[in-house]
Amino acid sequence: MQAVILERALNYLLETHQIDVSLLDGKVVHFSLQDLPIEVGFVCTNTRIFVTTDTSTIADVNIKLKASVFLALLQGEDLTKLLREDKIIIHGDVKTAQLLVDLLQQVDIDFEEELSKYTGDIVAHQVGKLAKKFKSSDNPLTSIKDKITTLLIRPKVQ
Amino acid sequence: MTQETTHFGFKEVATQDKQGMVRGVFDSVANKYDLMNDVLSFGAHRLWKHYTIATSNVKAGDKVLDIAGGTGDLARAFAMKVGDSGQVVLSDINAAMLNEGRKNLINKGVSGVEFVQLSGEQIPFADNSFDCVSIAFGLRNVTDKDQCIREMYRVLKPGGCLLILEFSKTDIALLEKFYEFYSFNIMPQLGKIIADDEDSYQYLAESIRKHPNQETLKQMVLDAGFGLCEYHNLSGGIVALHKGIKI
Repeated sequence: MQAVILERALNYLLETHQIDVSLLDGKVVHFSLQDLPIEVGFVCTNTRIFVTTDTSTIADVNIKLKASVFLALLQGEDLTKLLREDKIIIHGDVKTAQLLVDLLQQVDIDFEEELSKYTGDIVAHQVGKLAKKFKSSDNPLTSIKDKITTLLIRPKVQ
Repeated sequence: MTQETTHFGFKEVATQDKQGMVRGVFDSVANKYDLMNDVLSFGAHRLWKHYTIATSNVKAGDKVLDIAGGTGDLARAFAMKVGDSGQVVLSDINAAMLNEGRKNLINKGVSGVEFVQLSGEQIPFADNSFDCVSIAFGLRNVTDKDQCIREMYRVLKPGGCLLILEFSKTDIALLEKFYEFYSFNIMPQLGKIIADDEDSYQYLAESIRKHPNQETLKQMVLDAGFGLCEYHNLSGGIVALHKGIKI
């Protein structure tokens, strides 16, 4: 189900931002986040992206990174710099990886604005705040767990 | 000389006879097909089809071929996605089903869909013609399934998407027992009461049991040349959606 949602979201972005994926035509990219249970394959073909959870397919490139590094990439961080700092592991065709990163960096989306269309401004803003905290942490899952634990042990007294 | 045989439900029949026998089934059920689908699946077939459309990755301007499209549920949804710049072809081997599809789409105000009577084993379109080819609850009735999948591969453009929605096998023991009882005891009786046709619904139950399971069908899709195939189990595996990409 996550793959279907991700696929629809990606193709929606491609369409609304008029991003051309033809340079990646026929390429298969395996992508995994080290700190979240996300491992998917992207197949770029016929002017769209298919997302698959079947990672047994032979890929042109395998990319492994943390969620925070992924968000940094989206915000324009240099791939070569991240590679040098060992924040991203790439096996296979680095050129394909670079093309994918270039493509992702073309996406300039105001997530809060998009979300507010469905949830209203208040919920969208709160989700946005959460996402910013999540992004600033090196280990987001642990950070969320810590925050919940703190809240449960020492609830704020009004 | 030994005659080649195939299955028609649990019966073994001459290969050349199966197509005509399947036609007989659908001639008989065509005018009650939608009603029976709603009753027999408790309306779930609408959700399965909705999921298929959501998974299709079809966009405005695409060309879509729906094989064994029957009463046109998928074709209607595809027509809305591809818009005026796209093209949807609704096809079925059975003229009675195709007529039902045409009537349905006209009644629902859908225009621009083309109707073609064809066999999935010999698709009369050029290579690399469509962005998406779908077949929902039709493949199990095809005599030579491998040939049908090869044909769908042929007419798909490179990067095109194949969608096979079909009854499959559940591995949930309790659900399997209920489903077994329901298929062979309730379904034919409902067929008798609502459509005055017990035999066709007995065939439906039997043909589901003879259909390849998820993994076998996935391998058949890969063997036909698709670079990628994955399946999504729906309703505990009672139905599976196989999605193949021509890469």
